[in-house]
Amino acid sequence: MENNTRVAIIAANGGMFDAYKVFNIATAAAASDKEVGIFFTFEGLNLIHKEAYKNLPLPEGKEHFQEGFEKANVPSISELLGMAQEMGVKMIGCQMTMDVMNLEKDNFVDGIEVGGAASFIEFAKDADISLTF
Amino acid sequence: MMEAAKVLDAKGMACPMPVVKTKKAIDEIESGDILEVHATDKGAKSDLAAWAKSGGHELMEEAEEDDVLKFWIKKA
Repeated sequence: MENNTRVAIIAANGGMFDAYKVFNIATAAAASDKEVGIFFTFEGLNLIHKEAYKNLPLPEGKEHFQEGFEKANVPSISELLGMAQEMGVKMIGCQMTMDVMNLEKDNFVDGIEVGGAASFIEFAKDADISLTF
Repeated sequence: MMEAAKVLDAKGMACPMPVVKTKKAIDEIESGDILEVHATDKGAKSDLAAWAKSGGHELMEEAEEDDVLKFWIKKA
């Protein structure tokens, strides 16, 4: 069943906790037939960087949670990212941040779009749910 | 027990995978068919109910057997 609920997410932080917050909500929303778009900006770009997303840091002093992630059988970030792509989650990398960090579209996982704040606003203007992480 | 067109084993999976896998499984059955889901994630109890509601599917029945949560969902 299709419905037209739209979820707009800003991912502005690049740690492992941040990645879980973003991708859990995004995949759960996509699985519930929502139209989902994520704008990755500043450290948030780590979440879709080809190398960085495989090895995101836990917050300082919270490294012991690694064991908890394994014990709870939490899916890997790779798995969640793959699910998000498969379910058609729109991913926009921030052009300006990429310029600042000297990164190209090729440095990121396949299927992303590159755009500026206006691209995200255009998507988010009709959003029913807007979230920032 | 209800006759399920498909049984999804989501045991051992953590949030959000039970919902993601349920979505995939329900795409593979026909409207009016029943999907049976087995999960051990305690959050699945509220999540699958909410998920079914948002997609217009009907959660026909749920049960708990030996720490396994079972759900029967009728596809809209």
